[in-house]
Formats: sequence, structure tokens, C-alpha cells
Amino acid sequence: MFWQQLVNGLTLGSTYSLVALGYTLIMGVLDIVNMAHGEVFMFGAFVGLILVTNFHCNIFVAMLGAAIVSALLGILLERVALRPLRRKNGSGISHLAPLISTIGVSIFLESLALKLFGPQTQAFPQTFSNTIYTIGPMKISLVQVVILAVAFGLMLVLRFWLARTKIGKALRATAESTETAGILGVNTNLIIVLTVSLASGLGGIAGVLVGLTFNAVEPTMGISMGLKGLAVLILGGMGNITGAMFGGLVLGVAEVFSVAYGASSYRDAVAFGMIILILFLRPQGLFGAKDQTGGR
Amino acid sequence: MDILLNPYYLQIGTFIMLNAILGVSIYLTLATGQLSLGNAGFMSIGAYTSALLTLKAGFSVLLAVPLAGFVAAAVSVVIGFPALRLKGLYLAIATLGFGEVVRVIFLNLKITNGALGLSGIPSMTILLGKTLSSLGLGSGIGGVTLQQLSSVLILFFLILIVALLVFACLRLSRCRAGRAFAAIKTDETAAEAMGINTTYYKLLAFLLGAFIAGVAGALSAHLTFYIGPVDFDYHRTVEILIFAVLGGSNLVWGPILGAFLLTLLPEILRAASDYRMMIYGAILVLMMAFRPQGLISEETLRFWKGKLGREEK
Repeated sequence: MFWQQLVNGLTLGSTYSLVALGYTLIMGVLDIVNMAHGEVFMFGAFVGLILVTNFHCNIFVAMLGAAIVSALLGILLERVALRPLRRKNGSGISHLAPLISTIGVSIFLESLALKLFGPQTQAFPQTFSNTIYTIGPMKISLVQVVILAVAFGLMLVLRFWLARTKIGKALRATAESTETAGILGVNTNLIIVLTVSLASGLGGIAGVLVGLTFNAVEPTMGISMGLKGLAVLILGGMGNITGAMFGGLVLGVAEVFSVAYGASSYRDAVAFGMIILILFLRPQGLFGAKDQTGGR
Repeated sequence: MDILLNPYYLQIGTFIMLNAILGVSIYLTLATGQLSLGNAGFMSIGAYTSALLTLKAGFSVLLAVPLAGFVAAAVSVVIGFPALRLKGLYLAIATLGFGEVVRVIFLNLKITNGALGLSGIPSMTILLGKTLSSLGLGSGIGGVTLQQLSSVLILFFLILIVALLVFACLRLSRCRAGRAFAAIKTDETAAEAMGINTTYYKLLAFLLGAFIAGVAGALSAHLTFYIGPVDFDYHRTVEILIFAVLGGSNLVWGPILGAFLLTLLPEILRAASDYRMMIYGAILVLMMAFRPQGLISEETLRFWKGKLGREEK
């Protein structure tokens, strides 16, 4: 039972990690919380659903499609809601402005999805056989294997990309200080667009994965997932990539265990309980340095 | 006279005043430069507390409404204390989570009747009507029916509350706490260096906002006889936020103007009410891009004072 729940928790948690990575990347580079990330994630899920249902695409093609559409949505978001504010920066504009602006985008996208796709929950068509592998005390289904492989694969690639490639280095430099990176010849505007589209693309793929996990896609899934991503953002430490990956897994496992051993209707409250607990005990997050700049 | 006392107009007037109270609640938190996304949550705590106190414990409405505000304020300390010790956006995230959790809790508790919500909450209008008829005004006065009379009185009562809140906020900006709020909003580090206990004043502003939101929730429960978890979700929070964003959050008049405009808008533009949330989203983005200070700011006030030929002191 314990090991079984652990596998389920890790599967769920790996999708949370992907969503949280989106928040973290944007937080790290732009120093803002993108409140519309949950809705980008939801659009990704719908694009994947449509590609599988209406165009009979392979699920991996659907993920790619979802990633592309979400990335485009992210670029659009940056153009409309973030760039105008950045240009004004310094003229007494409060740090709340980008937050409020992305809240605007989030409710716009949510009600757009309600108009486009309807309010009802839509089921993901079955794409994988019901094969179940047994490893020791655990049973793991093919869908779970795919989700774990995709999520962990993406996280590994991202880590490597950030650590080893030139663009990755430029991104980390921009995260440390946009101005200094700009002086040193980094095209920071390009890096910012790249970051937002990368974060949104990851969110889109996470949308398809979550659609597969719960076999359900609905317009309101963005808000609850967005909240969980934010919880992980605080849990792992703001702008900390390792923290986001690990924090997502912690939240997923905690949620699955709370459902298995207690209150199933309060599973959505676990994320919030974690926020409050972490703010009391370790406000810089599990992996955050004291000055909240380390670990990138 | 009949046009003025049209129940539909009276109803809209009541809603405008309720929303204005909510606008003041978010204004107070914003006055320290903090964003609370949990006002709908505090509203629901107030609404459910007051409804349960009157329905199950037999409290009188007049006692239950302020009590509901105190309960909301007490809860706000639990959320606010850890979140407000930190700078930045922690309060926004923590309160956003809080709003969702409150909704989940009220959805699952037995005493709140779950998703069905509570109905048959004692209505202020009907209670007032009973009191009036016991005073011998059962048939109304001078062509005004009893129902109209009590609706008008309720509306005046709400206007009185809003006026009191505005007065308090205007006075606040001239006292120690108000000046501390303004200092923290302008520059938190500098304020701290000046010896202002930033956590204390941020918590105070947050608590006052929660108290007012709780009272507004309780009032709305006693005006609509029915409350359910859906009434207080994330959209409600965004709706409250947009009062302050559209009207402006530097002066207390801003959120009140915002509440006035945005409550009237869906009524005037019936066709637009389908796309209300989309319009709200667009307003938030556009305001932040073009006029982040909102419609009313200190400059606007000074400009009009100049136009009207009054000297700025």
C-alpha cells in the first residue's frame, strides 16, 4: 500500500514539478509571479485533447502540439501583459502591476476557454493499453510510466540545458541581473521571450500529462493547478529550479497520502497547508538560500 | 416617486453599496502596498458565520454581523502573520490559497450544507419591515408601501456605513497608522529604517481589510437570504480587486468609483454581461499598461480642484 501510494504520488508530483518549473523560470528571470500560468497549462491540456480526439494524433505528437500552442500563448502574454509594464519600469510603478496584469490574462483565458470548449469536463480518450507492470510491491501502469518518463526526461534535459549550453548560461545570467547581463552582451529581451515560451511550453505538456492522469480536462483546472504550482514555488524557494522539481514531488506525494490515509475531499487544501507551514518554519523555502538568490 | 422606489433600482443601489464596502476592504490592504487575494474568502467566513449564528444559535442580526467581522479578522491574523513577515508577493499567494481552501472547507462541512449552501437566512429587509409594522407603519406612509420603505431604509443604512468607512479612511491618512501605511507602500525598507514596525502595520491593514470584508459578507448574507460556496470563489476576489484597479487604489474614492461603475456596467450593457469576465480581464491588463494608478489619483483630484477654482491647501 505504502509503496503503491508512493508511485502514484511521484507520478502526480512530477506533473506538479513541471508546472512549478514554469513559475520558477519566470520568477527567476523576470522576478514576477505569472498568475496566468495555470490557464496556459489548461489550454495546453485542451490542445492535446483536441489533437488526440479530433485529429487522431499520437499522444507524443499531441504533447508537442500542446507545447507549441502554449509557448505561443506565453509569447503573446509577454507581449500584451508584461512588456508594456517593463518599458514603464522605474516611473513609480508598483511591483504589484505585473501580478495584477497577469491575473487579468488568467481570467480572460479562463472565460475564453469556457466559451470555446464549454464548461463540462471532457474525458481524455484512452491512448494506452491497460498494461500494468509489477515491480516488487508496486504496480505501475503504462500511462504512469509514460508520465514519469516524459516529466523526468524534460526536467533532466532542462537541467543540462541550463547548466551546459551557452543560452542556458545567458538565461542564468539574466536571472541574476538583467542589467548586467545586458551590458555583457546578452540579448535580454530575447532571453525573456525564450524563458516565457519555455515555461509555457512545459506548462502545456504538463496539461496533457495531467489530462492523462485524471482522464479529465475542464476550463477550471487552471486555477487549482495554478495554486498548486504557486505552493510548490514557495515550498521550493522562489526562483529555485531544484526546489521546484523536488517541491512538486513532495506536494504530489503529500496529496496522495492525505487521500489514501484520511480526508479525500480536502486534498486541495494540502497545498495551502504546506504554504502556511513553510512560511512559518522556513520562509525562504526548502532549497532557498537566506538571501533568496542562490540555487539557480 | 415610483421610478425612484422601483425595487430593481433599489436592489442595484444596495449592490453598489455592498461592493463599495468590499472596495474599501481591498483598499486598506493595498494602502500598505500589499495585495490580498483572499477577500472573497473573508467575505465567505463573515457570511457563513453570521448566517449560522442567526439560523442555528438564534443570535440577532445586529449582533451577528459585527461578530462575523471579528471572526474574519481573527482568521486573517493566522494567515497574515507568517505571510507578512516577508517582503514581496507572499501575501498574494498565501491569500489566494486561503480563498480556495475556505471554499473547499465550506463545500465539505455538514453545518454549511455543502454545495447546496444555506438558505432561509433572516433577511434584514423583512426584519425591518416587521419592526416598522409593529410601530404602526404596516400600511406604509404617504403612498410608499412598507416593503419600499424598508428597502429604502436599508439602502440608507448601507450608504451610512460606506460614508463612515470613507470618513475613517480619510482620517486615517492623517494619523500615525495611516502615515505608516503610506511609508510602507512607498518604500518598505526605508520605512523599516525609520523605525516603523512594518509587520505590525501591514498586519493591521490586512486585518482591517479582512474585518470589513467579513462584515460585507455578513451583510450580503442578510440581504440575499441565500449563500453558497460558489458565491465566494476566485472570480469574486478578482471582481473586488478590479474595483480598486479601475478606480485607483491611492485614494479611498477610487475603489468606490470602481465599485459604482462596475456594478452598473453589466446592468446597462445586458449583452456584455455574458462576456463580463473577459471584459474584466481586459480591463486589468489595459489599466496596468496605460494607467496603473487607476482613474482617480492625487493628480486627478488636484486637477479638478484647480478647475473648480479651489485652492489646494
